[in-house]
Amino acid sequence: MSCNYLPFLALLLSIGGAICLSNPAHAAAESEGLLRINTTIQTHNVAQPWELNQPSRRRGLGAVLKGGNILTTGEMAANATYIEFESADGAHTVPAEVIAIDYEANLALLKPEAGADGEWIKTLGTLPTGGSAKPGEEVDIWQLEDNGDAIRTAGSIRSVDLLSTFASGHFFLCYEVKASMQSASSSYTLPVTRDGKLIGILASYNSKDQICDVVSPDILNQFLKDVRDGTHEGFPSLGIATVLTEDPQFRKWLGLREDQGGIYVSRVLPGSGAAESGLQEGDVILTLDGHGIDRRGYYQDASYGRLSWSHLVRGSKQVGEKLALVIMRDGKEKNLEATLRRPPDSLIPSHMYDKSPPYLIKGGLVFQELTRSYLEAFGKEWRSRAPLDLLDALNNPEDYEEGRSRLVFLSRVIRTPATIGYDQVNNRIVTEANGQKITDMKSLVSALQNPKDGVHSIRIDDVPYVIYLDPKASDSVDKALLQRGLPALERLP
Amino acid sequence: MKKLLLPVGGAVLLCSGPFSMGQKGPAAANADIYKSVVRIECATQSADYRTPWNSGRFGGGTGSGFMIGPNQFMTNAHVVSNANRVLITRRGSAQKHPARVIHIAHDCDLALLEVEDETPFEGLTYLEFGEVPALESQVRAIGYPVGGDRISVTRGVVSRIDFRPYAHSIVDSHLVVQIDAAINPGNSGGPVLQDGKVVGVAFQGLRQADNTGYMIPTPVIKRFLKDIGDGSYDKYVDLGITEFALFNPAMRKALQVPENGLGVMVASVLPTGPCDGIMEPGDVLLSIDGKPVDNAGNIEVEGEKVVLHEVVERKFAGDEVALEFLRKGEKKNVTITLKAFPHSRIYAVRYGERPRFVFFAGLVFQPLDRNLYSTYGFDSPRVRKIFQNYVEDAIFKEREDVVVITRVESDRLTSFITGFKGTVVDEINGEKVRDLNHAYELLYADNLPEFITIKCNGLARPIVIPAAEVDSANKRIMKQNGIFRSHYLGEKQPAS
Repeated sequence: MSCNYLPFLALLLSIGGAICLSNPAHAAAESEGLLRINTTIQTHNVAQPWELNQPSRRRGLGAVLKGGNILTTGEMAANATYIEFESADGAHTVPAEVIAIDYEANLALLKPEAGADGEWIKTLGTLPTGGSAKPGEEVDIWQLEDNGDAIRTAGSIRSVDLLSTFASGHFFLCYEVKASMQSASSSYTLPVTRDGKLIGILASYNSKDQICDVVSPDILNQFLKDVRDGTHEGFPSLGIATVLTEDPQFRKWLGLREDQGGIYVSRVLPGSGAAESGLQEGDVILTLDGHGIDRRGYYQDASYGRLSWSHLVRGSKQVGEKLALVIMRDGKEKNLEATLRRPPDSLIPSHMYDKSPPYLIKGGLVFQELTRSYLEAFGKEWRSRAPLDLLDALNNPEDYEEGRSRLVFLSRVIRTPATIGYDQVNNRIVTEANGQKITDMKSLVSALQNPKDGVHSIRIDDVPYVIYLDPKASDSVDKALLQRGLPALERLP
Repeated sequence: MKKLLLPVGGAVLLCSGPFSMGQKGPAAANADIYKSVVRIECATQSADYRTPWNSGRFGGGTGSGFMIGPNQFMTNAHVVSNANRVLITRRGSAQKHPARVIHIAHDCDLALLEVEDETPFEGLTYLEFGEVPALESQVRAIGYPVGGDRISVTRGVVSRIDFRPYAHSIVDSHLVVQIDAAINPGNSGGPVLQDGKVVGVAFQGLRQADNTGYMIPTPVIKRFLKDIGDGSYDKYVDLGITEFALFNPAMRKALQVPENGLGVMVASVLPTGPCDGIMEPGDVLLSIDGKPVDNAGNIEVEGEKVVLHEVVERKFAGDEVALEFLRKGEKKNVTITLKAFPHSRIYAVRYGERPRFVFFAGLVFQPLDRNLYSTYGFDSPRVRKIFQNYVEDAIFKEREDVVVITRVESDRLTSFITGFKGTVVDEINGEKVRDLNHAYELLYADNLPEFITIKCNGLARPIVIPAAEVDSANKRIMKQNGIFRSHYLGEKQPAS
């Protein structure tokens, strides 16, 4: 055992030595292009959507780009009610605003608030953006001490992979960097450089494994390219769900040769670029833009080696660009061309960052539109704890579309004189109100304008199936709720 | 039918029973009663749903019982469930007498036993049954609970009379009487007496509460004895409706219910149940067999408020029930005929059955029921939803069995069959699977297509097995995993 320690010690020393050698100079010069970002985050209360939760604060770093805009993670700015830039030494601050934020790729571009004095930012210098790095290469991760000194931690890129660093279910090219970080005052989001050029933003750090997830320069540059024209469209998507073709029996059934790769298209989202191109369920995608896709969905990337096919769509193109596909259908190869679009709006949104959840209160019945975040609020075990019918809708939205654009549900019942007997009814999908089909919150609001035969009737998907409300009683309850501090009875998207 | 799904919070079954005696009872009567209370030893073999081809687990336990007639011993169903061997011992005797189960009713946790040789039991007193004891009246429980080998007597009062779930089957609720006499493991099946008469059978307790023992009262016992009068136990029958209490004035007004405190809304009607086609959701039930139903769904029986289902509790398949209900303000009178509703037993724990399964090319198929559900604890919302709605959405009409892939054995053929464990099989070779027998027929058909395809609910791609590889794979995988039979389909029957 003891002999194993020797080389490891030697290695540590050599790194220390390298730092000293390459940085004989001062720390101050190294904070070039860095500033602090302080944000106040406030999310909506899931159970009482008319309320905001207690605010929380976040401190992180931003990179000053050429032209003076500040790049940071989307997570830093999402749900922020107040954003502020602060100089490394704490001498200057200025309120900031968002130019563009991408929750999927976890990036945000900020600038000083219009009219505010952010002149001091110009004195900080800028960080030019760099190009792709390779696994094995050394990078620098930047932090700021309380006294304003910059701390530089050297790390090396372990691997590249498509990771979801913020909004769940969205995977983008990231570097996994091995580095031993210390906790410093502004550690939320950290710029990563190589040879003095910004090549990524650290999104998360696992102190146990000492691995940082860093949003790659490829994604960063695509994001900056997208916003250059002044509008942020977001990353494109093909709009398909796929299954790997590793299983040899499945391959034989599909008629795939052993020397072919291919991924099986299991679902084509209506309204997507894939649907428009003529791609169908059951097709097998063999190549994308000339890159052969193997049976596990990987292609050979010029800079990174084996990468998931998704990077060819989401990480390499802008909305509106075209993608060439070679597919296998009924044993024959076929060429298709898809124009990439933003993913179609889904029945159950995966997130509601910076949006206020729509709701309606009627006589004490609380209605909301279902989102993934609502279900995630049921705790760590939400996949087994959240209400079964709502979970099923999340997993199989196609079974619940039926002309809906959102899934409206009765989230809970406030005990009021109008809701006697309904106390136990909660988390029920609403299908109809006063004889009208409910397709989103707006339709429910309008349906509840007109009680039929002197009573409101609301149809839900489980016992008691119909809930009746007395219009007079519910109106007076609504009035009382407003008097007792409820800000509004409804919020529409 | 929502009530079928209610879990029994912390109820524990007690294999052993208490006994108590009315104050007036003479000493001699006591001695006779003690003699008629026997100790029951049961060796069990419980099915293992994880490896359905195996013999299961061997175990055992003891309980109590009592003589109610010539060579007739009453005890709890759970004392003699999954029995391989039943032995009865008289008080003070060293002899163990082999016995067998004549009738067993899992839905009300009662069983009737007989011994092979009745001579040692001749001359014993047959205990008689009394009525439901009054609240706060004294009772004693007699039996052979833990804590010693000899007979035990504990005394207490009737604390509550209620309609509660029976833990043995999980889903059935009947009348229970709660007593504060100590009831402990081993008391199960023993008599609870008042004035020398049996007023209940001790059967379960509450784990998290003190001095709460439950006994099965005589209306339930008498119904059981009447049911087996024709030589077989036919189980309880159900109205097949769920109600929703009419506490809301707007709801009452909308359904045109008079403001007299009477009437409960019918929230759902079970497909193919006795009220199917007769009642509709939104109807308001006003009376049942002439007894007015209040807004909460209760009726009055013998001076006590009980749920309206109590009327049906004492009836049998083929019996009639008169219903008066309101539909859109119009009164209707109907008479329905009660009938067995076997599909709801999917939610009941099953005993004494060999688990059905089909093994095919490394995949194990099993029908979904309570036993399978508690064994695997399926986490897929789809499987949970199908299980929950099996009866209410009449899923049984299309699929008598919900066939689930429960295991994927390791083999070169199955290396890449991932994500299919715990999913419901929809189709095999393009045909909708009706039940496990059907799945077996489709998988083991004489002329299989080149590729056998198995489509699972909610999964994007089918499982594909080349027909040419099936035989060799079956042999190989069965040998590797010690699976010595390819299937057990049971006797073709809807439910037990």
